[in-house]
Amino acid sequence: MMSYRAWAAVLGLALFAGGLGLVNSQYRARSLFVDLEAAQQEARRLDADATRLNADLGTLTQPASVAVAAHNLGLRPIEPARTIYLGAAPAVPGAQGAP
Amino acid sequence: MKPPLDARATPGLLRAALREAGTWSEEAPRRLFSRSRGAAPRERRRGTGRGHDALAVRLPSWRSKLLLFGLFIAFLALAVRSFFLQGGISTGFLKHEAAERFERTIAIPATRGRITDRNGALLATSVPARLVWAMPEYVDAPPDAMRRLATLLQMAPTELDRRLASDDRKFVILRHQVDPDAMRQIDALHIAGIHSSEEFRRVYPEGPVAAHLVGITNGDEHGQEGVELAFEDSLNGAAGQRRVISDNLHRIVDEDWLRPPIDGTDLQLSIDNRIQYAAFSTLEAAVQANAAQAGSIVVLDVHTGEILAIANWPSYDPNQRGRLDADRMRNRAVTDTFEPGSTMKPISIAAAMDAGVVTPTTLIPTGNGHMTISGHTISDTHALGTATVEQVIVKSSNVGAATIALKMPAQSLWDMYNGVGFGRAAHAGFPHESTGRLWPAKTWGQLQQASVAFGYGVSVSLLQLAHAYLAFARDGDVPPVTLLRVDTPPPAVRVVKSETAREMRAILERVVSSEGTANAARVPGYRAAGKTGTARKARAGGYSGTYVASFVGFAPASDPRIVVAVMIDEPAAGRIYGGDVAGPVFSQVAGAALRTLQVPSDALPAPVLARSGEEPR
Repeated sequence: MMSYRAWAAVLGLALFAGGLGLVNSQYRARSLFVDLEAAQQEARRLDADATRLNADLGTLTQPASVAVAAHNLGLRPIEPARTIYLGAAPAVPGAQGAP
Repeated sequence: MKPPLDARATPGLLRAALREAGTWSEEAPRRLFSRSRGAAPRERRRGTGRGHDALAVRLPSWRSKLLLFGLFIAFLALAVRSFFLQGGISTGFLKHEAAERFERTIAIPATRGRITDRNGALLATSVPARLVWAMPEYVDAPPDAMRRLATLLQMAPTELDRRLASDDRKFVILRHQVDPDAMRQIDALHIAGIHSSEEFRRVYPEGPVAAHLVGITNGDEHGQEGVELAFEDSLNGAAGQRRVISDNLHRIVDEDWLRPPIDGTDLQLSIDNRIQYAAFSTLEAAVQANAAQAGSIVVLDVHTGEILAIANWPSYDPNQRGRLDADRMRNRAVTDTFEPGSTMKPISIAAAMDAGVVTPTTLIPTGNGHMTISGHTISDTHALGTATVEQVIVKSSNVGAATIALKMPAQSLWDMYNGVGFGRAAHAGFPHESTGRLWPAKTWGQLQQASVAFGYGVSVSLLQLAHAYLAFARDGDVPPVTLLRVDTPPPAVRVVKSETAREMRAILERVVSSEGTANAARVPGYRAAGKTGTARKARAGGYSGTYVASFVGFAPASDPRIVVAVMIDEPAAGRIYGGDVAGPVFSQVAGAALRTLQVPSDALPAPVLARSGEEPR
């Protein structure tokens, strides 16, 4: 049987260790929160960059920009006057398909 | 011989040695020590002798008890005070002091909702920016750094110096909406007293193309014009607040949300940005080619009443806030009204057809093209003689339209005009929508009843005019126009009989032909229908010598999909007629819109026949 003093010593040590653990866990919690805050800050910055890039993309892909690029490339929009319409020819009995 | 005992030996060893020698007694240590330390006491005795006497005095026990009691009281006071401060009895002071040093409340701005077209293309969005401000009394930097700062803030160094020179101001805003890249360079200068806060900058990727439609916000991101103003409540979020605790390195180590920010709601419009661009660019070219003052165009979806495009010229770039001109910012298609002229005739005559007063083949006497009512003469451009109702529209006879209108009760005409939307706002979702002017029928005399029939004495906006033609493009019913994308078409209100609408559609198709007034409005690959309008502009006391040229039509005529209304204000390059000035705009925009919407052609040329393996001829 442990004496009263031994129990007191053990409990005292446990209390001391618990106190140290509490302080350590508080410190770790705050360190983790600092890391979390930094990560969230980074996420916000990346979100902001994504928003700006989307806006830039919207500007570059707007029809006016496409029209300018098409003009520079010598492209023309499809116009009915320059379109050939193909009609299906009536089937010829016994005709074979092209290879 | 044994070595002499060392007086500094431990008492245990000494005791053992004396016992071994048989000389141990209780007096031994005292004797031993008195011998080994004998010199000092003897010297003290030879001296004053007071040290020995003082040591010999026994302290009274109450003094040590008093000291012990005092210490006990002091520790007790500390314990009570500690419990008082930290045990929940009086924590306010410490909390206040801690809050002063480590707590702060941060405002979290809400993001304004995005505006997109019907396909998700961005029309307006908010990107993060910085508000740069200064505390003048703390600003201290070498001249080079200040010049660099002025450059990054896009202001002259003298202007920056002037703003910072005001001694009586502790806080000076230097610039709103600074780009993050520029802000990083400003931070790198490490100028004391220069700070920044988070804010947003509104960006409009379409620029002038959709400026009147989307509108603009002010520096605080509150809507000022267009959709930005009309849907301010849903686009604008609510800023949040966050209380944080910082450590001595100014890192946030804990937080408490007082109010999370609520971002604004995204808005999807009915606009198709490809059709919008086609409408804007074609209109711009037409206004400049005709040396006109201004122009507007509206494109509606016949099935749903959605606005597919709405554009005006002149326009402005909402991204360049420093160069805004109120005259260029007006959404003329919605806010400005004009006398519609001959585009009114199909509506007036449809009322008569609907009432059974005339049919498309009824003969109308127009005489020599002149008609006098109450002392005022109504004239046609060309004398038609006796013409059918169909010819009255195709040839755009004012006398014929007036004659038909005078066969009708004024109230029946008024009901038709009001039924298609004249005299009341279209409620499409724009701010400042004009109602136009349609006087009550009971105030009409014969002259006004006749003149309203061919588009004078009444004013409408271009949006109202396009809305009215939905009745002919559909089978006589009119859905409400809307600026927001709708998946389920809203219920339509019938304003003319289906048969009347179909007959009028056939008549209007003949207008867009070589025999009508709008041959230039033909759309390659599609059958189109519509009506031209050329109206003198009203001025104080009469009419001016300038005109408004317009055209309203729809295509494909076999199964209409879009209504396009065009208005060119004061063309001054020689051509003034709606068919010549506005007709070509209709042709180009309607063709582009129908191809964009992938509407099958209903006027294909004869197809080239080809068999497998053959090149088409």
